[in-house]
Amino acid sequence: MSHEQLENNEETIPFFPDQFMREFRVVIGIVVIAVIIGVLGMINPVGLEDPADPFNTPAHVKPEWYFLGLYQLLKFVPKTTGVLIPIFGVVILALWPFIDRKKETSHKPMKVRALIVAIGMLILIALTIWGGVS
Amino acid sequence: MRKQLGRSPIRRSLQKVFLFSFLLTTILLASLTIHVLANQSPPQNPLSVSTSADTPSLTSIETILRSSVQPQRSLSATLPPPKQDPCLHCHITGENKNLWTPLARWAIFGTMGLIFAFGMYRTGSVILNRKTWKPLTNRTFEWVDERYEISEPLSKVLKKPVPKYALRWFYCLGGITAFLFVVQGVTGIMLAFYYKPTPEAAYASIQFIETQVRFGAAIRAIHHWAANGMIVMCTAHMLRVFIMGAYKNPREMNWVSGVLLLILTLAFGFTGYLLPWDQRAFWATTVGSEIAGSVPIIGNLALVFLRVGWNVTGETLSRFYALHVMIIPLLTVGFMFAHFLMVRRQGVMRPL
Repeated sequence: MSHEQLENNEETIPFFPDQFMREFRVVIGIVVIAVIIGVLGMINPVGLEDPADPFNTPAHVKPEWYFLGLYQLLKFVPKTTGVLIPIFGVVILALWPFIDRKKETSHKPMKVRALIVAIGMLILIALTIWGGVS
Repeated sequence: MRKQLGRSPIRRSLQKVFLFSFLLTTILLASLTIHVLANQSPPQNPLSVSTSADTPSLTSIETILRSSVQPQRSLSATLPPPKQDPCLHCHITGENKNLWTPLARWAIFGTMGLIFAFGMYRTGSVILNRKTWKPLTNRTFEWVDERYEISEPLSKVLKKPVPKYALRWFYCLGGITAFLFVVQGVTGIMLAFYYKPTPEAAYASIQFIETQVRFGAAIRAIHHWAANGMIVMCTAHMLRVFIMGAYKNPREMNWVSGVLLLILTLAFGFTGYLLPWDQRAFWATTVGSEIAGSVPIIGNLALVFLRVGWNVTGETLSRFYALHVMIIPLLTVGFMFAHFLMVRRQGVMRPL
């Protein structure tokens, strides 16, 4: 898409100063949120659990929250399968543009994808919460 | 010496007057600062120093700093001590002369002097040349442009048109992720100034950061929560691109680099989680590397590579620290550069 075509047919705004200021305001917003988190962190610090003890396994060992879903899945599925599912998932995710190459002419594919995302995210979030509470 | 522009002998002598006063101001400023330097009192007795603003946990730092040997930079060792600090009339009596005061003095008075000297030079120039003053910003830009000819590529970059369909809120998610990465970099560097990556010292160093370092708890909290935020925003950005089908031709490689960036972000989280070396960190890493070890064919190799051996030890901590602080950041910056370059080149996809 050439720039001239974009400028003639499209409604555009210039990057500087308009888009730059929009992005700058987003940046300031994030800085404000970070400062609020910082102030809250001084009142209620992140903290630490007991020091690491290689000879003493605690009762409930859990990974970080973004791996809880996978951890929960591994409780039902045999170990090797449970590890191969996310690996294949990531490989398919990375190669998705080469799998779905069809040129789109209507809004239907977008709605289908939105549905897939909604269902997929629900499953992931449910697994994560389940992994968190069990 | 620049050529004399004044037409009459009166104008030429006026030029000389302005030049002379400029030099005089510079000499006065220099002598003032030497005078102040010479009359600085030596550092105060640490036991007598206390301000109401100090919290108990912080005075220990200041006591340590003050009682440590400090080089005597002033001339007061050779000159007789002054009766009173010459700058005391600007101060509240009894104020500490800490590490920042000399810099503050130089900055304030130096800036005032420089502004005054510049103002005189500019007035002289306007009177003698009878032309409007060209602002310094314009002068700097022209200086750079003469040498590097950047005005054309710069205006191309700055004036790039952004289509109005790209102004909806969900187009900001990628930029938010990138900025959170910057936040993590800055807070990470500040934490790295105090963190000690050995099993013996790691836990205590984080306690030190949270209790003894000024705003340490704040920086650690930001680093902790911005890490989670970055993963959420990265996923949200990916889902937005997926739903809108913006991964299709010609943007395939952009998507691939994006998935790699997601994996690197998760790797950041995984490696950083071990660093506090508490029970949660230790055992979560044990479990995590155990899962990596159950991959067929490369499982044991992956496990030994991650753990540096068969168990999680201090070697694991060192390796995770190097990964978290050097290798994964370099890879992330590299892939981000490629990702941004491709977006810039191809533009935002036009929706149907």
